[in-house]
Amino acid sequence: MTDEKTIYDPEGYRGILRDRLIKDKIRTWSKVSVKKGEAYYEGLLLPRSQHTDDDYVTLKVDTGYNLGILVDEETDIKEIGYQKGHYKLPHVDVEFKKELPNVTLLGTGGTVASRLDYRTGAVLPAFTPEELFSAVPELTTTVNLTPKTLYQILSENFRPEYWVKTAESIAKEIESGANGIIIGHGTDTMCVTGCALAYFLRNLPVPVVLVGSQRSSDRPSSDGPRNILYAAQLAGYENFAEVVISMHGTPSDSYNLVHRATRCRKMHSARRDTFRTLSDIPLGKIDDSGTTWFKDDIRPRSNPEDFYLDAKIDSRVGMLYFYPGMNPDLLESMVDLGYHGVIVIGTGLAHVGTDVYPALERCQEEEIPVVMVVEPLYGFAQLRVYETGRDMLARGVIEGENMLPSAAYTKLIWALGHTRNLDEVRDIMLTPIAGEITNRESPRGFMIMQGIEPGIDQILKNL
Amino acid sequence: MIDPNNLDFKKLGFHAGLEVHHQIISKRKLFCNCPTILEEDPENMEYSFYRYFRPVLGEMGDFDPGMLVEFEKGYKVIYLANERNTCTYEMDETPPFFPDMEAIEKGYILSEYFHCTSFAEEIVVNRKQYLDGSITTGFQRTFISARDGWVPVNGKKVRITNLHIEEDAARRVNWDDTSSRTVYFNLDRLGFPLTEIITEYTDVETPEELLETAKQIGRVLRISKIGRRGLGSARQDVNISISGGDRVEIKGVQDLDLFDVMCRNEVVRQYTLIELKKEMLKRGLTKDEFEHTYVDISHLFQSETKHFAVICPKMKGLFGLEVQPNKDFGLEIFEKSMLITGVPRADHYHSDESDGGFIRENSDYPSNLGIDKQLYEKICAILNPKENDAFIVVKGSEKQAMHALKKTIERIKMALDGVPQETRRFVKNGNSEFLRVIHGKDRIYPDTDTPPVVISLDTIEEITRDIGRRPWEVFEELNSEYGFSQNKVDLLIRDEQLDSFYKFTTELNMNAHLAYKLLIDIPRENRRKDVIINEEIIERIAELLASEIIIPEQLDQVISLLSKNEHLTDEELIDQLNIKDLSSEELAAIVKQKIDFIGKDKLQTSENEQRYLPKIVALVLKECNYSIKGQTVVSLINSFIKEAI
Ligand SMILES: [Zn+2]
Repeated sequence: MTDEKTIYDPEGYRGILRDRLIKDKIRTWSKVSVKKGEAYYEGLLLPRSQHTDDDYVTLKVDTGYNLGILVDEETDIKEIGYQKGHYKLPHVDVEFKKELPNVTLLGTGGTVASRLDYRTGAVLPAFTPEELFSAVPELTTTVNLTPKTLYQILSENFRPEYWVKTAESIAKEIESGANGIIIGHGTDTMCVTGCALAYFLRNLPVPVVLVGSQRSSDRPSSDGPRNILYAAQLAGYENFAEVVISMHGTPSDSYNLVHRATRCRKMHSARRDTFRTLSDIPLGKIDDSGTTWFKDDIRPRSNPEDFYLDAKIDSRVGMLYFYPGMNPDLLESMVDLGYHGVIVIGTGLAHVGTDVYPALERCQEEEIPVVMVVEPLYGFAQLRVYETGRDMLARGVIEGENMLPSAAYTKLIWALGHTRNLDEVRDIMLTPIAGEITNRESPRGFMIMQGIEPGIDQILKNL
Repeated sequence: MIDPNNLDFKKLGFHAGLEVHHQIISKRKLFCNCPTILEEDPENMEYSFYRYFRPVLGEMGDFDPGMLVEFEKGYKVIYLANERNTCTYEMDETPPFFPDMEAIEKGYILSEYFHCTSFAEEIVVNRKQYLDGSITTGFQRTFISARDGWVPVNGKKVRITNLHIEEDAARRVNWDDTSSRTVYFNLDRLGFPLTEIITEYTDVETPEELLETAKQIGRVLRISKIGRRGLGSARQDVNISISGGDRVEIKGVQDLDLFDVMCRNEVVRQYTLIELKKEMLKRGLTKDEFEHTYVDISHLFQSETKHFAVICPKMKGLFGLEVQPNKDFGLEIFEKSMLITGVPRADHYHSDESDGGFIRENSDYPSNLGIDKQLYEKICAILNPKENDAFIVVKGSEKQAMHALKKTIERIKMALDGVPQETRRFVKNGNSEFLRVIHGKDRIYPDTDTPPVVISLDTIEEITRDIGRRPWEVFEELNSEYGFSQNKVDLLIRDEQLDSFYKFTTELNMNAHLAYKLLIDIPRENRRKDVIINEEIIERIAELLASEIIIPEQLDQVISLLSKNEHLTDEELIDQLNIKDLSSEELAAIVKQKIDFIGKDKLQTSENEQRYLPKIVALVLKECNYSIKGQTVVSLINSFIKEAI
C-alpha cells in the first residue's frame, strides 16, 4: 500500500463518479471547483456518507456550509488545491493530587465528551486524558481521574463476554486501590450491563457508576459533561458501594438521579431523563449542592479484601416477548437450537396463551428453565392468582418476581454459568442478589419519580 | 467626536452588508410538526426547564474563542414553553423530524427571485453553534438553498452571496437586565422556518444603498407571499466597516428607518476608535504596559462590597473620548465587561469622569460609585498614578470584580489594534452595545441527525417555473407604462394587490390609475375610518365598472352603499344610486348654472382654469348624482367658455 493510493481514494464515493474522481486525481479534502452552466462552486470536497445518492458530491463552501451537487457529464470538476489536515492535540499536564480520591473511568463506547472536527464535520470521541480534561476541565479538580479504554462500541453491540471483561477490569482497578469506578457506556443497553456487573462484583467495596450522554456529546447542550462530573463526585466521595446508573433526573440541568442498576430502565428513546427506577424510588439524587439519599438500604463502602469476582456465565439464554397470536414454535425452536434458558415476558401477571403450554412442557422435560417476568414492567409475576397461571406453574415455569426483563436475562445467564440443575437455578433466580427483586413493593414505586409530576420538588423534600 | 450628521461615506471607505432574517409562511416548524403559532404573552408558560451550555472542543483540542467568551458569561438559561406550540424537539429531547418540504421549496423560489445561479442540488443540513441559550441544542440547523444572486439597487447590482433556510431561535423575554446571569427564552418561536439572505458587503457604499437593498429584499418577500407578516417576523443584522476599521455586526434592527442613524453612529464609533489607536501609539503605549494588578481599595468606601482599582498607564483623557453620541470610551469598555461578567455598568468607574470628562455623567449609565474629588484624591494617594495615567475602579464580589477588571484590561489592550471584530446589539438611541465576539465559520459543521435531501435541478426548475414578476420588473413596467412611483408600486406589493391590479388592467381593461384607486386608495381611506372594504366588494365594483353599469365618478357612492349592505343586487344598487336621466338641455342648464356660481371670469386664465375647473365639475356631478362622466362635463364647460370668448 502506497500513501499515494490512500490519498487518492475518494472516500465514500461510489460508481461512475468514483471512477471519474480517481481518473481526474481529485482527492477528498482537496479544494475543488465545480462548473455547471451558469453555476459555479468552490469548496472542500467532503467524503460522501453511506446510503446517499451516488451521483452527488458534497462540498464545504467558504462560509463553512455544506451542500450537494449532482456531477453529470456536463459538469466540470477540478481539483484546485489541497491542504493536509493535522490533528495533534496539545498536551495537558494533569497533576496527581494526593488529597483527591482516585477514580478510574473505563470507556466502553459511550462518549460524555467529544472533539469536533469543523473541517470535516467529524465527531471524534474525547477519551484520552488530554481530550477529556480539555473538554471538561472541572474534572481535574474533582478527582484524580484515570481514563482507560476497554471498548469503542455502540452499546447495542455489547455481548455477555464484554460484561465479563468489564467486570474483570473493574476488579483489577479495585485491587489497585481505586476509590471508585466510572463506566462510560452507550445509554441503550446501559441497564443490561449494569445488571450483569451487579451480579458479578461480589461484596463490592466501592461505587461503580455507569454514565453516558443521552443527547450527543457533540452538542453544546449535551448532558454528558454534567453527567460525568456528577459521576466523578459519586464515585470519588460518596459512601455507597453498588452498581448504579446516574443520569439526568429532569430535562433541566438541575440534578441527576442515582438508580440501582438492577431496578433501572431506559424509558424514552431520546430524553435526558430517560432512566427511571421502576417499582421503587431511586437511591438518591445529586446536584451542585451535594448528594441526597432517599433510601436507607444502600450498601455502604466496605473492605476491599472481602471483594471477589464471580463472573461465570452461560450466554445461551434467550428472551421472548409474548404477544397475542404468538406462535409457540418460537419457543419450540429455542429448545431445538439448544438454548439453556429462556426469559418470557408475559402479559399482565406474567401469562402466556394456552397454545404455548405444550412448548412449556417440552422445556420442562428438557430441564430448560423458563423464567416469567411481567410485560407491564411494574409489579410482580404472580401465577397463583388465575387458573392459567397455576397451569403454567404446573409446567415448571419460574415466577421471576418483580425482576425487570434485563435483570432477569442477565441473572439467568449468570445462574446458568454456575449450574444447570433446575432447582438450583430456581433458587438463584429467586434469591435477591443485588436489589433485582424487592421483597415488598412500596406504592411509591409506581408514583414517585416515574414522570414529571407537578410539585415533585415538594415531594422530594419530604422524602 | 466627528459630526454623525456630516459624514462623507465614500471617503471614509464605508461598506455595509445585510443579513436579512425573515420568517417563512408555513404550516409547521422546520424540523418538527408543531404549528407556527406564537404566544400572545411571551412570558406565559405551561412548563419550564433550564440548561447550561458549554462549547464543544474543536479538532485541535481547543475551543473557538467566540464560544469561549459565551461560556465565560456563565448563563443559566430558563426556557418557558407551552404545550400547543412546543414539543420535545424544541426542548432538545428528541431528534429532528424530516424537514418541512414547503419551506425547502420556498427557499428555491426566493433564490429564483434573487437571480441566483448556483443552487444546492442536495440539501445538507448544517449546525451553527450558538451558546447564548437562544437555541436549546446549542446550534441552529441551517442549510443553503442557493448562492450568487443579486438585487438592483440605484442602478447597480448588489450581490446576494447566500440564501439559507434555517430554524428561527427562541424568543428572549425579560431583556431588561443585561447584567443578569439568568436569561429567559420562550420556545414558541424556536423552529419557525426562516430564510437568511446575505448580501456582498463590498457592494454597498452608502446608508441609502443599504436601505434600498433591504427594501428590495423585503419587496421580494412580500411579492412572493413567502415572508411572514407582522411584528418580529423580520430582523436585519448589518455588517459595517470603514477603512482602517473592521467588520462589526449589529444585530436586531427591526425598523428600516433606523438604518441611517445606526450607520452614522457606527461610522463615528469606528472612526473614533481608529483615532484612539493612533493617539495610544503616539503616546508610545504597548500592550505589555497594561498589568493585571488589581488593588483592593474597599476601605475607602462605606460599603460591604469590595472595590478594586487598576492603573491604566498613559490613558488619561482617553476613557473620556466620546465614541458614540453620549457614550465615552470608558462606558464602551464597561458594556463589554458587564455582558461577560455580570457586573453592572454603574459599578464601573474611570478616572476621566472626575478629571474633566463629563460624557459619562450625561450618559444613560453614569457611575454610581460616588467617587467625588476627595475620594479621587484618596484613591490617587494609594495608586500613585503618574501624570498621564488613568485608573479604573470596579465594585463587586471579589471574584466578579476581578473578572470585570480582567475583561476591562483585555479590552483596553485591544484598543491598540483599533476596531475589534464583534457582534453588537442595536439600542434604541441609534448606538450599539457589545453582544459577543464575532463568530467564525469554524462553528459550522454537518448535522449528523439529518440525512442529505436530494432536490434535483429538474425539481428546482419545476418549483421555480411559475414565479411571478420580480419587484424591480414590476416597477420598471408600471413606471414606464403609467408613470407609477416606487411608492405606489410598493403599496400594490405591500397590500398584495398586484395580481388584482394586473387582472383589472388587462382582463377588464380598466384604466391603471382607476385600478390603483380602487385597490389601494379606497380601501386605505376606508380603513382609516375603520371601514373594511372586503375583496369581494372591490372585485364586484370592478366588474360593474367594466360592464359600464356604473361609472368611475360614482365610485364613492357605490362604496358607501356596498359597505353598508354588500348584499344589494345590481338593480337595487342602481336604484339607490338614484341616477337622473338628464336630457342634454337639462345638463347644459346645470353646467351653466354652476359656471355662473363660480364666476365666468375665474376661468379666463389657464392657471385659474386648472384651479376652478375641477370644482365646477364636482358641483355638476354632485347635482347629477354622479350619473354622468366627468369628461362629458369638462367638454361642456369648455364649449361654454369658448362661446363666451
Ligand atoms: Zn415541536
